[in-house]
Amino acid sequence: MLQPDLLQFTAAGGGGGGGGGRAHHSSEEDGFSEATEEQQEERSGQAEQRNPFTFCPQLLRLHRDHELFEDGDVLRHMYLQDLLISEAEERPAPRVSEFACHISGCRAVFSTLDEYEHHYNSLHRHVCCSCRRSLPSARLLDIHIQEWHDSLFTILAQKQDMYLCLVEGCGQKFRTSQQRKDHLIRVHKYPPDFRFDKSRKEKGDARSEQKADATMEAAGDVCRSEGACRVMCSVEPEQLEEEEESMETHVSSEEAARIEDVSASPQTSETNSGALKPKYSYRVPKTVCFGHGSVRGFRGHRGKRK
Amino acid sequence: MWRLKKVCHKAGRHAGSQEELRLRRREKERALRQARRDSQLVSKRLLLNEDEEQDSMEITPGEQDVVRLLQQLQHSGTEKEAHLGALSKALRSPSAQLAFIKLENSMHLLVSLLTGSDARRRLLAVRCLHELSHSRHASVASAFLPATPYLLTYLSGQSTKFTELCLYTLGNVCPDGEAVKERLLAQGIIPALASCMQNQRHSLAVVEAAGFALFQLLQTKDAAQKVIPMVLASDLPSLLLSVLTPDPEFGLAPAAECAWCLHSLTSSTEDHRVLLAQGALRKCSSLLVSLGGAVGDGNTEQGVELLVCPLLRCVGNLLPSCPVEALSAQLGDVHLVAPLCQLVFAFLQPLPALAREAAWVLNNLTAHCTESCAALLTFNLVPRLVELLPFSQGINTMVLRVLANVAHKKKEFCTRLAELGLLSAITATLKMANQDMVTLSLELLFMMIVSSPQIAEQFVRQGGLSVLEAIQYNSEGEVRRRAAYLLEQHILS
Repeated sequence: MLQPDLLQFTAAGGGGGGGGGRAHHSSEEDGFSEATEEQQEERSGQAEQRNPFTFCPQLLRLHRDHELFEDGDVLRHMYLQDLLISEAEERPAPRVSEFACHISGCRAVFSTLDEYEHHYNSLHRHVCCSCRRSLPSARLLDIHIQEWHDSLFTILAQKQDMYLCLVEGCGQKFRTSQQRKDHLIRVHKYPPDFRFDKSRKEKGDARSEQKADATMEAAGDVCRSEGACRVMCSVEPEQLEEEEESMETHVSSEEAARIEDVSASPQTSETNSGALKPKYSYRVPKTVCFGHGSVRGFRGHRGKRK
Repeated sequence: MWRLKKVCHKAGRHAGSQEELRLRRREKERALRQARRDSQLVSKRLLLNEDEEQDSMEITPGEQDVVRLLQQLQHSGTEKEAHLGALSKALRSPSAQLAFIKLENSMHLLVSLLTGSDARRRLLAVRCLHELSHSRHASVASAFLPATPYLLTYLSGQSTKFTELCLYTLGNVCPDGEAVKERLLAQGIIPALASCMQNQRHSLAVVEAAGFALFQLLQTKDAAQKVIPMVLASDLPSLLLSVLTPDPEFGLAPAAECAWCLHSLTSSTEDHRVLLAQGALRKCSSLLVSLGGAVGDGNTEQGVELLVCPLLRCVGNLLPSCPVEALSAQLGDVHLVAPLCQLVFAFLQPLPALAREAAWVLNNLTAHCTESCAALLTFNLVPRLVELLPFSQGINTMVLRVLANVAHKKKEFCTRLAELGLLSAITATLKMANQDMVTLSLELLFMMIVSSPQIAEQFVRQGGLSVLEAIQYNSEGEVRRRAAYLLEQHILS
């Protein structure tokens, strides 16, 4: 086998890379174009950021038993056994690659790019770092984070109108989430049984996505109630853990490490009861779920079979 | 004989049983695939008389007929020929074959007729042997051993029809076990094949038959150690190569058989010095060039893929054995890049497997050869290659490798690739389910972004940031690392 070529990447300085065809120098390193990869890293002081890119043009030798040759061999032997005809209908059409959602744990697969885009933009774009909920828009994500995960908000909300109307352009604020809900129903004609207009305490089922914010979110997780629940339920760690395991993760474990650590205050339990779950935009068809329901909508959906 | 046309006509004639035919074919295909996976892919050929129709459904003569015919043969005088003819038809049935060899002196009789002084009877006797050779039973194979020295001897004869039958018969029994193969090698099958091809190179049918016989020999177990060195030491390589001429008079079939032999030779070993010294790379490439042109024009015979396939494989496996500096010397004035691309595009719909193999050869050609990469750009082949990126089963990964080979060579190439719309294609391939596609896309993206800041900006403008951010949640750690590195070191910084 031939040795892999040395890097032939012409850097501005004229010298190529010194390594065995491995990494490429970034354009920042023009002045040090002869530096080896190790020296480059020392200089930039980012020892942990090793260049993971390893592509090198490769000569591929294929042994005659290689699977890449299977179809051609079958063709050959069909001919030898007088089974070959050239009718076009017999030949299968070339297959097309599928697209798949990258998000670890989301196993959705799509046959067209448009479907992928729609899925990703709908479900994974605006994800709350704390509780992994997916919101349909940046604005709603901001509102969600503020209302659910911001202790300052909860403090201020005791004294002033903080709950913002969800309809863009309205701008009205309300003292409680219930008041906001009423406003949405009366003024903006939202249905009273709006699917995603549930308070944080009400849940459609026992499964919850909340992970790290146990103390603050516990009331919402554990209590199932139709109305306002002002009692803060104690966290049941075992139950919470079970739920965690059964959940689909939207984001990787690295993301989990970055979840905010929000401290809880005793008053939060009361205001929590009024917090709203995320809403979806009225533009989106009802068949597509958002919010915590979205996970279930795609869970177990392995996409189309190849 | 080149029977593709006959088979097609037959299929057309029996319109009613076409569905059965199709089903049978599909079953056979499945069986062939499984046999290949079990390393037991062996075929035999049946040479028909010109006036005959192959119809295996109508085999009816049973064992009793064979017994009777043999007795008649042993006792009759003047009607031997008629009996021989009947016997050869009877021997088409597998059960009759088995029954025949169990009869005492049956093979002895055939061999004596084979070697007798009557030419006509020789021909009929060899036809019987040919029918027998079609059997897959080990007992039939070992019964053949007395006949082999004579079959080999007759290869240097001048009767084309007779020689043809001997060759196909030998080719059929070659893969039937170690004993037969050892015997044939010891009896000099390789020099016999070489001199046969040499002496009868004017005869299409004989050359094709010899190619087939050699191919069968090369499929035997341990051929790489036991057969190939002897073949390479003989005249056979140059003879095989001499058949690879684009001369339309000479016909597709002999060239195809010889090309398959060459494929067996190149794909079983890595030492290609003998073949390269005899100009194998140039010969295979130049034939590919003319075929590529013809295929691109839609101007080819039926069955051309049976020649294109082994040629592609030869070139594909010879290229790694040829150092880059020697490449232009080996290839001469043969310019492979455009014809290879033509083959990829032309075979994509009818035979995606061949498109994939052609893309593989293109990868090997562009891996270390800057000229070939430049040619892809000069001949404006990149946009069409980019159109191949949706197609799976190994096609898009190989095409992406080719494009990565180009990007790897020079910054200027990266700029050109970006101008040709590769970035938007990459933003799509980054979303594919196939992890190899994602990884290769990231590698290619990295090379392009590092080559110029404008490319990074263009990528961001085209919405690439969100794609990379999404990839940071990919289940594969290696993929995540690459995306993160690219984002942090080169796009966001």
